[in-house]
Amino acid sequence: MGTTIANPNPGSALEFALPAANAPTVVVSELTKRFSSRSSVREMIGGRFRKVATVVDQVSFEVDEGEIFGVLGPNGAGKTTIFKMLSTLVVPDDGYATVCGNDIWTEPARVRSRLAAVSSDERSLNWRLSARENLLLFAALHKVPRREADGLVGAMLKRVGLEGSGHKMVAAFSSGMRQRLLIARSMLARPKVLLLDEPTRALDPISAQELRQFLRNELVDRQRCTIVLATHNAEEAFGFCDRIVVLNKGRVLATGTPSDLRARYGEERFRIVTTDPDHPCFGRLEAMGVMRRLVRDVRTADGWHTLECSITGDASRTASVLEMLYANGVRVARLERVEPSLADLIARIIEATSKGISNA
Amino acid sequence: MRETVAMIRAAWLAETSYRMNMLFSLASLLTMVVPLYFIANALQSTMATRISAEGSQYFAFVLIGATTYMFIAACTSALPSALASAIGKGTLEAFLGTPTNWATLFVGLSGYNILWALVRASVMIAMGVALGARVALHGLIPLVLIVFLLVLAYGSVGLIGAALLLRYRTTGPLLNGVLTASALLGGVYYPTYVIPSWLQQVSKAMPLSYGLRAARQVALLGQPFHAVSHDVIILTLCVTALLPIGILCVATSLHYARKSGTLGHY
Repeated sequence: MGTTIANPNPGSALEFALPAANAPTVVVSELTKRFSSRSSVREMIGGRFRKVATVVDQVSFEVDEGEIFGVLGPNGAGKTTIFKMLSTLVVPDDGYATVCGNDIWTEPARVRSRLAAVSSDERSLNWRLSARENLLLFAALHKVPRREADGLVGAMLKRVGLEGSGHKMVAAFSSGMRQRLLIARSMLARPKVLLLDEPTRALDPISAQELRQFLRNELVDRQRCTIVLATHNAEEAFGFCDRIVVLNKGRVLATGTPSDLRARYGEERFRIVTTDPDHPCFGRLEAMGVMRRLVRDVRTADGWHTLECSITGDASRTASVLEMLYANGVRVARLERVEPSLADLIARIIEATSKGISNA
Repeated sequence: MRETVAMIRAAWLAETSYRMNMLFSLASLLTMVVPLYFIANALQSTMATRISAEGSQYFAFVLIGATTYMFIAACTSALPSALASAIGKGTLEAFLGTPTNWATLFVGLSGYNILWALVRASVMIAMGVALGARVALHGLIPLVLIVFLLVLAYGSVGLIGAALLLRYRTTGPLLNGVLTASALLGGVYYPTYVIPSWLQQVSKAMPLSYGLRAARQVALLGQPFHAVSHDVIILTLCVTALLPIGILCVATSLHYARKSGTLGHY
């Protein structure tokens, strides 16, 4: 899988493994995790003392360097457990995974030095310490040389826009500030791989957008960091990630680029904002099989109506639909693509799989 | 080492952010030592002959006993309470997600509690000396060595407690049981030879019995280190037996928690 760079002083921190050129940065192969839980009294009477649930079931995917890879799934899909296994906090039952060529089974310390996990759990910060003190502690735990630590902490605070709040106690921070501090903390390790578990969960839409821009511009484009992002927000996954794996109940349902998944499992869904929802042109387009109205009509207070519809074909077909609406005098204020909801996507993939037309 | 220092520093900064708590913690030592002084002086004539093998002044005798007990009690519960706090705060997984190994992390987690207990113990001894307790200064270095062995012995019990905490989220009756038994039978307030003979057999299982006897002989009677070598050897044997068991228990529980996914569970 990788190439070992040996140094003249074996066993020292300088010896490390690098993935072979073009090798994926993260490889997850047939990873499986089962958790047991206590049975109810009734089940115990029936002689069943432990229940075993498979939370991650033979999950496989690969992530390339500098890629933003989305792990999309509802609650209980196994996203966090996969992240914990990659972070070596949970031991898998079967399968294997490597991070930068280092095996999570046999080289957990090396994996932890290449990878940083950012939980959305703000509690993992010490709220009684200042932002700077929190970062200095983790700089030491990440073995950042002492003479570099202070400068690095300052730089990280600046990079996440907290340079003016470094001496403020974390307890006084907003959720967004804590989230940014968690990212700054993970970046202290100069990781090659960043695991982000629902990073925008506690953020308002503007802060979430800023965070995504920061991740793309700063970490991926500038530092060539690989990001694996867990989310149950399909809009975020489709709008932000280069590739996505869709999980449900611990199993991989589909993997691909957003456009690939849309093409395979989603009809192109659009939202049209118009003042003429009952214009005969819509009926004609439906009769021609070009368009299908899905959500009929949502009227806004100022007289606009919103239609949700699917349009078959590519972008040029959508453009010609818009031209046709204009040509027929339909007043259209906006036509925009709507990302499929997670529930829709999963339902469609399951439906497609059962029909045997899945590419998987 | 740097990681341990950073963790102790962070714990110190967090503790000092509760300023009143810190002040009360130090002030409470006054309420411990002063009553001890009056009670010990009141009992001096009764206890003088009973403690003759370990000292002549009952206040100094009980000061060494109470201070050592307070210190080893803090050392025993340092790691379990720090782990419980880290699990509760959600910082344990964040720590274990760094390249620092778990042994260093656990030393760092418990380090502040142990150092703070050491400060409190030193303040207690200094207050006792100021109130008239007679301690042989040349016995201080052997005393430190004996207390260090006691810390390792009771710290090993703490490791077993930490293992129970990682496995079952409670230390059960282990720590309280060991500490209560040690307080009653380890010779904290009276020498072990004044308790009933059948209980003396139980007291022989307490590392504190050997540690306190040796500590008093060097610190109060001014005896040379070789005079207490028998007790020190037994104490060393206790450490040799308990420490590997403690480390093995923690390693096993940590692996279990990683296997069962319960590392960060409350």
